Amino acid sequence: MRLLDWGVLIGALSFIVLYGLYRSRGPTTVNSYLLAGRTMPWYAMGLSIMATQASAVTFISTTGQAYVDGMRFVQFYFGLPIAMVILAATAVPVFHRTKVYTAYEYLEKRFDAKTRTLVGLIFLIQRGLGVGIALAAPAIVLTVLLGWPDRLTTFVMGAVVITYTVLGGIKAVTWTDVQQMMILFAGLFVALGTAVWLLPHGVSFHDAVSLAGAAGKLNAVDFSFDLKNPFNFWSGLIGGTFLFLSYFGTDQSQVQRYLTGKSIAQSRLSLIFNAGAKIPMQFLILFTGAMVFVFYIYERPPLLFQPVELKRIQSVPAYRSIEDRYQRAFEQRKEAAGRLLEARRTGDRTAGARSLAEYRNAQAGIDAARDQGGRLVQAATGSSRFNDANYVFLTFVTRYMPAGIVGLILAAIFGAAITSIAGEINSLATVSVIDLYRRHVRKSAPDRHYLWASRAATAFWGCYAVMFAQYGKNLGSLVVAVNMVGSLFYGGMLGVFVLAFAFPRVRGNAAFLGVLAGEAAIFYAHFATEVSFLWYNVIGCLVVVGTGLLLSLFERPAAAA
Amino acid sequence: MNSPRDEPPPFLGTWKRLYAAVLVYLALLITAFYLFTKAFEP
Repeated sequence: MRLLDWGVLIGALSFIVLYGLYRSRGPTTVNSYLLAGRTMPWYAMGLSIMATQASAVTFISTTGQAYVDGMRFVQFYFGLPIAMVILAATAVPVFHRTKVYTAYEYLEKRFDAKTRTLVGLIFLIQRGLGVGIALAAPAIVLTVLLGWPDRLTTFVMGAVVITYTVLGGIKAVTWTDVQQMMILFAGLFVALGTAVWLLPHGVSFHDAVSLAGAAGKLNAVDFSFDLKNPFNFWSGLIGGTFLFLSYFGTDQSQVQRYLTGKSIAQSRLSLIFNAGAKIPMQFLILFTGAMVFVFYIYERPPLLFQPVELKRIQSVPAYRSIEDRYQRAFEQRKEAAGRLLEARRTGDRTAGARSLAEYRNAQAGIDAARDQGGRLVQAATGSSRFNDANYVFLTFVTRYMPAGIVGLILAAIFGAAITSIAGEINSLATVSVIDLYRRHVRKSAPDRHYLWASRAATAFWGCYAVMFAQYGKNLGSLVVAVNMVGSLFYGGMLGVFVLAFAFPRVRGNAAFLGVLAGEAAIFYAHFATEVSFLWYNVIGCLVVVGTGLLLSLFERPAAAA
Repeated sequence: MNSPRDEPPPFLGTWKRLYAAVLVYLALLITAFYLFTKAFEP
């Protein structure tokens, strides 16, 4: 990496962190440390919600997803605006009026302490797993870029995150998120613009889009219904709505953002902002991946984008023949792409159809060679899967982008990583202290004691994330792994909040057993069926609600106050 | 100070109208993506 890139990277990240610390300026109470004294404006909360969700995974993995699999992943977000509307109308006013620190604290007010504790523990397990994956993504960056050891990378990143989160609390986290999202948007537009600008002379933007479409990479909407397919219109709209209701309505890492709002209206607007901005943002990121695909029609990509594994298989005898077939398929695709564009310019339909068939045939040859390369890696390493989608975009950035822009895009990726991790360890600490320590261990202590307990818990979860990140990098496409881990737990959490908000008759025991039944159903679906993970939220939520309602028939009504 | 208040949204007058606008926006977005897919499918 060049000096200018280092300057841009270090300068941007230093500015993000120092500005966040300046805006927080030493919180002195638990309320200011965990909820910013409930003073935050909608735009800061809105960007913070977006930043917490948009980790480095978003930039690295989503672009690679489009390169490998096309843009169909955008459908995953179709349920998000619906979920935001439902939450703005229901959860936001309830959480605000009850003045809770955590979503789970509300469950004790509504049900009982054991339900609160159970759901709090489920949150700690699932978010604890997710935070390690989020920290693993930047380790991938430096493995590709500089060959730095993963452990050193995660340690340095973890140290930065822990320092400013422990010192500044949620205010530092939120204002850091705001700066980070500005850099992420800048990086996104620059990456897309540069990918298009790097196309060869004679290939227009329309040609590029046309070639991406001809290869099936612009498959943004698919109305076919298939429970095993995670990315179609129906799974996105139905499964996505349930997932985002769970994520934004029951996951403390998100709920805590809008609990900091100075009014119900400000908190609602922060969610509505996300309802409007999230899908276009994901579309742009995926479209950038599609343009990187077109760039690689003219510039030969490596057989595998993961450099360490590519080097490992180069000594295997079968590698040479795979590489030769890959080279031939690349040349054929490049020539067919030229003939296809020419046929479309001249309006020659016969030549166009023939060139399209050749182009798609060559693409199938490239895909087959990459599959064979992946299988060689699996055989060499003994692993059951290989996925290099996370390396596609970074390889493009580091090899072809001009000086300065590489630094900016890396700043966006690293900033996304540290801000999402900061939000997550902040919320993990909040639940640990408010729902477990203050509720069960030390019930009445001075405010200052809980302030320091919150700081200690933040440091603990930061260290935990660093250790777990060592495993996160082996989970295939990271963006799918993050959402899959969440889906194992979110359905149960959503179900109990649906019972709380919509069914006043249901009481503590029924809710508690309902959550256990919901989680059992989700784990059964995961281990014993082929149902796609997006449907786990629907299954879990329905089982919790059904079980809760059924059991409530056998409970005596609450005694009149 | 900072007590939860149920204020109207800054535009469209009521929250119900704002929520309806979000859902219409989603429908338009999906339609646009569908047309985009159809326009460039192989």
